[in-house]
Amino acid sequence: MGERLALVAFALRRTWGGLRGPRARRLALAVGGVAVAVALVTTVTGVAVGLAAGSTVQADGVDYWVVPAGGDLTTVAVATEGPRLGDTHGLTARLRTDPRVDYATPVLLQVAPVETGTPDERTYVLFVGAVVPEDATPRVAGLPTAPLAPGDPHYADGGYDGPWTGGLVASPAAADLLGVEPGDRVRPAGASPDRSFRVTAVAGEAPATAVGSTPVALVHLSELQSATGAADGDTADQLLVATNDPSVRADLTGLYPRTEVVTRQGLSGAEASTTSLPVAMGLAAFVVAVVVGALFTATTMGLEVTRERRALATLSALGFRERSLVVVVATETLALCLLGGVAGVAAGLVGVAATNAVATSLGLPAVAAVRPALVPLGVGTAALIGLVAVPYPVWLSRRPSTSGVLGG
Amino acid sequence: MDATAAVACEGVTREYGGGRAGPLGRGPSRPTVTALADVSFAAARGEVVGVAGPSGSGKSTLLHLLAALDTPTAGRVVLDGTETTALSSRERARLRLDAVGVVFQRFHLLSALSARANVAVPLVERGVPRPERRERAESLLADLGLGDRTAHVPGTLSGGERQRVAIARALVTDPAVVVADEPTGELDTATGERVLDLLAETAADRAVVLASHDEQALARTDRVVRLRDGRRVSDGTVDDDG
Repeated sequence: MGERLALVAFALRRTWGGLRGPRARRLALAVGGVAVAVALVTTVTGVAVGLAAGSTVQADGVDYWVVPAGGDLTTVAVATEGPRLGDTHGLTARLRTDPRVDYATPVLLQVAPVETGTPDERTYVLFVGAVVPEDATPRVAGLPTAPLAPGDPHYADGGYDGPWTGGLVASPAAADLLGVEPGDRVRPAGASPDRSFRVTAVAGEAPATAVGSTPVALVHLSELQSATGAADGDTADQLLVATNDPSVRADLTGLYPRTEVVTRQGLSGAEASTTSLPVAMGLAAFVVAVVVGALFTATTMGLEVTRERRALATLSALGFRERSLVVVVATETLALCLLGGVAGVAAGLVGVAATNAVATSLGLPAVAAVRPALVPLGVGTAALIGLVAVPYPVWLSRRPSTSGVLGG
Repeated sequence: MDATAAVACEGVTREYGGGRAGPLGRGPSRPTVTALADVSFAAARGEVVGVAGPSGSGKSTLLHLLAALDTPTAGRVVLDGTETTALSSRERARLRLDAVGVVFQRFHLLSALSARANVAVPLVERGVPRPERRERAESLLADLGLGDRTAHVPGTLSGGERQRVAIARALVTDPAVVVADEPTGELDTATGERVLDLLAETAADRAVVLASHDEQALARTDRVVRLRDGRRVSDGTVDDDG
């Protein structure tokens, strides 16, 4: 074992020395090839994640969505008259007592006309009602819940007679459309004057969700239910549940008849997306990156082994076994790939930022998202590229006889 | 064959080529080239033996057979008491590691590594711990007058310094045999003399086999085996030849 580690350390030192010496340009080419492939997969996956997240109401932290069967998250967000869930406050309260659950909230989505102050003029805003967790401040529909009072005071155990907070967080698009700023009043058309809302905050950036540049206003669930007549039956469109325990899913499945539990899994929130496009994008980028990266790496490392055949033959002449030479070549290949992976992740994150910058400059919402998991994804992709590519340089390193290379 | 020799060969023949060309072995017949034909040789510990001959005479082939880098088509090679002919590739590598130090005309140092790391390379394969590798390499380099050059990479060393590093690398495992192929071929006369002195010093407790075109270098050996067209034509001192 120690001998093998010594060989690996020797190969790493040789690689590092090569990167600073006469082999620098050739080795940098190998690193660059992997970096390009990994940057591709990082950027495209970032876009895929952005698209997947964009098809859900919640941007971060939510692991499960309970939605009516046959409904989907995109249509829930834009067509609010589909099937709904009932008794959502009680259910949410029960879920919150479960120690496995970080937080849970029902979400009601309601497009409602808002009086603008000009007679006979109304504009439409997508209201999102939620119960603000006591011990967390997640973003719902891409808007922060922090400016709202914790809980849902107006609900008052189903009496809908608790204090009316009237807090409202407006998206930039909603604030623009309504011409409001913090402190201004917003009243849904038809609602009584004591059922109006006061803008407590305007979100700093457009929600990174499917609602994109749609004007959105986040309020307390019970107040939205009261203002829009949805208090009967305590209805909501979906239930968001954040947890680190996968066993929660089984309990969620039995909550309501004819509902589906949609899962965010890993990076892409694949199952949360109602379209397979983001998943397909991410997978395609991954496959292309691995295939192209492996071909490039195998070719460049094959050339490098051919150029270095005299050095390898020298090692053989000094008593290195074939297996040791395999360790040296494989370590060098994998080390360069991992280096390329790190560089590629950095380049990919720049690519994500550049993609969003371009989208923003075109007046579109940000389309790509950065997740910590992109880092292990990129480095893992690089490692896989190395593993797929390594047999070729290893095979080449074993071909010529030591005596032949050294001039027998 | 001399059983007490550090390295010896008996009736050794090495042929290359033969068979048929083409990826499926169905092409035209390839000619067989005999690089070495029925050569016997022995070198004892404490002896410096020269191998002389024109280009293509089989000097390097003989050296490679003696160093267990290659196996003969016919005949026997015994290195440090072990017959190499029947050994597997892995066993020959181990024998090289334990019993042979090789010095090349063009040094063949690893360009990315320091002089110290180059000298220690065989010890890596042996699994010697790093502090011990470092100590042994530095000690050898100091003995060879390179104590202040241990951290230098080969590209920053002169030809003579590089060859001294190569000699240190050949000696670091304390082998029974040192095989040197044209060790002064890339060096000026004065530096070559110094390298030959070093090789002669190393022969105190091991055999040194030195292939060279250079008669001055051969004059420093105890005995010279001359080859021509793959055959041994003489075995004696330079004076005997003269």
